[in-house]
Amino acid sequence: MFDEPFRWMEAISTRHSYVQEKLKKGQPVLAVPYKEGALVMGFAAQPGKIFEVYDRIALGSLGHPADVERLRMTLLDMAHLEGFNRSEKDVTLARLLQFGIAPAMKQNFEEVMRAPYLVKLLFAEIDFDNRPSFFRLNYDGHWEMFKKGAVISGNDKESEWIQKQIEQTDFASLSLKQALKEACRLWEEGKKQGSPESEDSDEQPTTLAEAFDRWTLEAALLSTATERRALYRVVTPDEIEPLKSAAK
Amino acid sequence: MSDKPENFSGPGDFIDLLERSGYSWPKAIAGLTAIDKASVPQGTTVMAFHFKDGVIVAGDRRATAGNAIMYERCDKVIPIDDFSLMAIAGVPATAFEMARILSHNFEYYRRSQLQPLSTEGKIRALSKLLKDNMGLAMQGVGAVSPIFASYDQREAKPYIYFYDILGAQFEIQTHTATGSGSPVIRGILEYEDLWGAQKLGQRTLKEAAQLAIRLLQTAGQFDSATGQGRPEDKIYPVIASITDQGYRFMPEEELAVLFQESTKRK
Repeated sequence: MFDEPFRWMEAISTRHSYVQEKLKKGQPVLAVPYKEGALVMGFAAQPGKIFEVYDRIALGSLGHPADVERLRMTLLDMAHLEGFNRSEKDVTLARLLQFGIAPAMKQNFEEVMRAPYLVKLLFAEIDFDNRPSFFRLNYDGHWEMFKKGAVISGNDKESEWIQKQIEQTDFASLSLKQALKEACRLWEEGKKQGSPESEDSDEQPTTLAEAFDRWTLEAALLSTATERRALYRVVTPDEIEPLKSAAK
Repeated sequence: MSDKPENFSGPGDFIDLLERSGYSWPKAIAGLTAIDKASVPQGTTVMAFHFKDGVIVAGDRRATAGNAIMYERCDKVIPIDDFSLMAIAGVPATAFEMARILSHNFEYYRRSQLQPLSTEGKIRALSKLLKDNMGLAMQGVGAVSPIFASYDQREAKPYIYFYDILGAQFEIQTHTATGSGSPVIRGILEYEDLWGAQKLGQRTLKEAAQLAIRLLQTAGQFDSATGQGRPEDKIYPVIASITDQGYRFMPEEELAVLFQESTKRK
């Protein structure tokens, strides 16, 4: 069936279309720096978009929850075994991606008789010099690194616009409150920019007011303003409340 | 083929993950009849007691092998997670490995199961490690007698547990101490709690830390395996506390001042 190169390429192309179609409604998740670390945020109908992977690594996700869960557990296993067998200083995202999860995802994607992963993943990491970096991992195993922040979304137009804005914004100089506010603003503006591509825009919140009303804002930090080994913490309802009030 | 799901033996269990990756806890060494215990470094005196806002966990810094002082800067109070500390007396090699396993176990559980392990689960996890270590403990090469202290966020209550080398656990309401210098200070702690100026559980952090420093100095006076503080070399006991804010180790600058105050003769 796939003995001719053309057939195989056609199958891969179809697979890309299939996965992209499945991820189309995936809501944006943004990861940006702020004065004391890194912020990951996104709105979700069901909680379960943002997770802690290791002491200095946070994960944002969109896609099928079962696939997100499987990859999340794989990352947790790899990170904790490496941290135990060597040192927590040897647990870095670049190694986890390059030598661990990305090749496995590529292989999965190209084995056209297997169900593909329906996910896009976003990572934030604070290194031991307290510098943040951001990574984006696609369902086909392709990954990229960003210094100023990154976004994932099911809507390409939306994510391209938000990514451009992130690159132009000096998030690293903002306080947590300002960074959260700015990230929310980009989320809302991104919705407007991406709306022509979305056929179901009337079904989903497109403004912050609607999003706060119907969904939950999930946000977490990797904060260097702690003496703890693990930098991850969830942004509290008290920290989110001013954004909610301002959006009304 | 088993009907059990892949992670049936313990979802979120790091020890299970370790074993699947090929790790195994060392068993008793077959054919080993006797060992010169003097060649194995040992930890010495640690203690924990309740104070007004939580628990204080403290330890001296000396590691010995028989009569030899091997190390004067040994940290015997080890953070396990944000709300738990383990104080060790016994063989450091075994104790440090247990602490590393426990720390990864609790963090792995919290991250994978999206909720912290219960205090009961934490207490049980250490007991299981000690039971698995029974072979080495009985051979005399890996005995560890730890104290585990944790703050239960759900109950808003601190806990102290003392363990014997085989894994039996005992909840401590007031104070406990273990290691070769512990008989000296257990009596004083009991006296202080019953007839001191204040019960231990009513003391402030500073008062509790001061008492811990004095107790360790006293233990060092009578037990050669317990190291006294040496301010001229910046060697101070480890003083840590656990409250509703998590654990905190007293920083060196703070300790230097408190040590001087605490050891000044009246």
